[in-house]
Amino acid sequence: MTHEEVHKRLTAVFRDVFDDPSLGISDSTTADDIDDWDSVNHITLIAAVETEFRISLSTREVKNLGNVGDFMKLIESKAR
Amino acid sequence: MLKQNRAELNYQELVRKARRLQPGVGQKLKIALLADVSTQHLVPILRALFASNGVDAHIYEAGFDTVQLEAFNPASGLYAFEPQLVVILQSVTKLRGLYYESDDRAGFSRSKADGIESVWQAIQSRLSVPIIQSTFVIPYERAHGHFGAKVAGTLPGAISEINRDLCERAQRHASVFICDIDYLAAWAGRRNFFDERLWALAKSLCSLELLPEVAQSIVDIAMASLGRGIKCVVLDLDNTLWGGVIGDDGLDGIGLGDLDEGGAFRFFQLFLRSLWERGILLAVCSKNTESTARRVFQEHPSMILREQHIAMFVANWEDKASNIRRIREKLNIGFDSMVFLDDNPFERNLVRQLVPEILVPDLPEDPGLYVRAICELNLFESAGASALDSQRTALYQTAQKRESEKQHFADLASYLKSLATVAELRRFDAASLGRIAQLIQRSNQFNLTTRRYSQSQCEVLMNDASTYPFSITVRDRFGDFGLIAVIVLKHSGDTLEVDTFLMSCRVLQRGVEQYAMNHIVEYARANNFKSVVGRYIPTAKNSMVREFFGQFGFERGAEAGEAGTEWRLEVSRYIPREVFINQPEEIAQ
Repeated sequence: MTHEEVHKRLTAVFRDVFDDPSLGISDSTTADDIDDWDSVNHITLIAAVETEFRISLSTREVKNLGNVGDFMKLIESKAR
Repeated sequence: MLKQNRAELNYQELVRKARRLQPGVGQKLKIALLADVSTQHLVPILRALFASNGVDAHIYEAGFDTVQLEAFNPASGLYAFEPQLVVILQSVTKLRGLYYESDDRAGFSRSKADGIESVWQAIQSRLSVPIIQSTFVIPYERAHGHFGAKVAGTLPGAISEINRDLCERAQRHASVFICDIDYLAAWAGRRNFFDERLWALAKSLCSLELLPEVAQSIVDIAMASLGRGIKCVVLDLDNTLWGGVIGDDGLDGIGLGDLDEGGAFRFFQLFLRSLWERGILLAVCSKNTESTARRVFQEHPSMILREQHIAMFVANWEDKASNIRRIREKLNIGFDSMVFLDDNPFERNLVRQLVPEILVPDLPEDPGLYVRAICELNLFESAGASALDSQRTALYQTAQKRESEKQHFADLASYLKSLATVAELRRFDAASLGRIAQLIQRSNQFNLTTRRYSQSQCEVLMNDASTYPFSITVRDRFGDFGLIAVIVLKHSGDTLEVDTFLMSCRVLQRGVEQYAMNHIVEYARANNFKSVVGRYIPTAKNSMVREFFGQFGFERGAEAGEAGTEWRLEVSRYIPREVFINQPEEIAQ
């Protein structure tokens, strides 16, 4: 899966979870940049990412996810 | 309840749906949610699922792990919120730690159940609203492997004990409903239910995938406690109750019994019969010649359902929507309390289009999966109290409790008072006719005249202005007996004749007979009858009521062989008997 492909699919997941069809994300996007990105939606987001990319994240990995770039790196290392 | 299939229980979809909910649409219901797990993920999907049932749920989320604090503090947010329903959700994760730290493991489950019951009591002392209590999911870890099943003092063992204990205690609290999350977890698999990571991150009860199941269960129980529920199942016949088409394949050709597909239909019929036993009306709506269809019920040796189980039998060549309307009218229930089961997608869609209020679930193609599909929808959630026929197991269990309690009371009167028995007298009505006819067929011992009226004869009595046919439904604080007595009074000049007087022996010796006789004489007095005439017709089994009328001051008349003995009472001379039975309204206050 190319970097662009991952970015495209991750953007779709974010748009879906935060219910905003025009939402754009970059590596530096954090919870501060998206209004609804609170601890509750963070869990929903993780679950949606796992479903979309058919991967499973550990508790520690989830804890260490600070920004979208971290998501990208983790997905690229795990997804086939 | 779910309308057609499980696909509605998708977490992400429900979260999206919750966001789009219009405030103020539907019947408002204030729900307090107390939990020792986090509830943030549960609340939106609860609101979405309630909305699907026409309920606008306003939810009070108590703080994390504050169940006791909220319940025992009169000034808590719980009571300020004035909920109409309280939900208590508890997780085994907290109990696990407590169990291993406990000094008294043998007494652990009991003290936990005591603690939970005292929460119910605290809430009940300030609110008279239904309480939904979750069970604990039995944990998967086993220190002894399989051998642990025969070892005392294991965590899984203690948790099953708590669950059993909670369910038993809930029987004594009519307003406490059990939400059996352990059943949900067992159904889905415990390894799918528990989500250790989600617990670590968010103290979530279970995986997000299964959270909608928990929410749906709460909704189902809440709706049942509001009196919404299925009262009637309308059944197609060919390929629904048996394999094949009776009109083509004939009695010998249809699939029903132990062989091949026949077993699937048998399983389905057994399930339907269990619904009938708990008071759900069964109706037939089939495209068939009536006599051909009825013959299967009358003559096929492998049929589980017989004509006596069917409240209304409609088999003709008209469209099913019209026939369902006819069934509804006759049974006098709402479309929204009916479900229609048919293997044929065409018929299902037709009925969905023409009668949108009625529930029409999809049935799988394989009849072996019918029961599974229906159970997955949990269509028959019940609040218990309205069952027509008795839940026998529960009855026997509660009978035991009554007995054990009986020993604590010095005299019968104070015991009877403590039972808080409620009896409801009701002129025959369409919804009860099935049970009435059944009781008339079955009662042998406490039956004065043993007149075996059929269901259609009962219907004639029901509509006869010169007859007063009524039934008595009884419950007490231990449980529900259902409809247990049938009495038919006939006007005859200035005399009121007790044509039929029969009772289930389950309720003897608690004053129901006296209560009924008081009512009979009151009725006679109010309608200006001078005397009441009763009759005892002896049979091989009813000698227990030979002197029944005598005990109420009736005078013995002539004995006339098979016509029995006539007993006569002057209305003006009757002294009402003392009873400890309440009418339903008195309790409601």
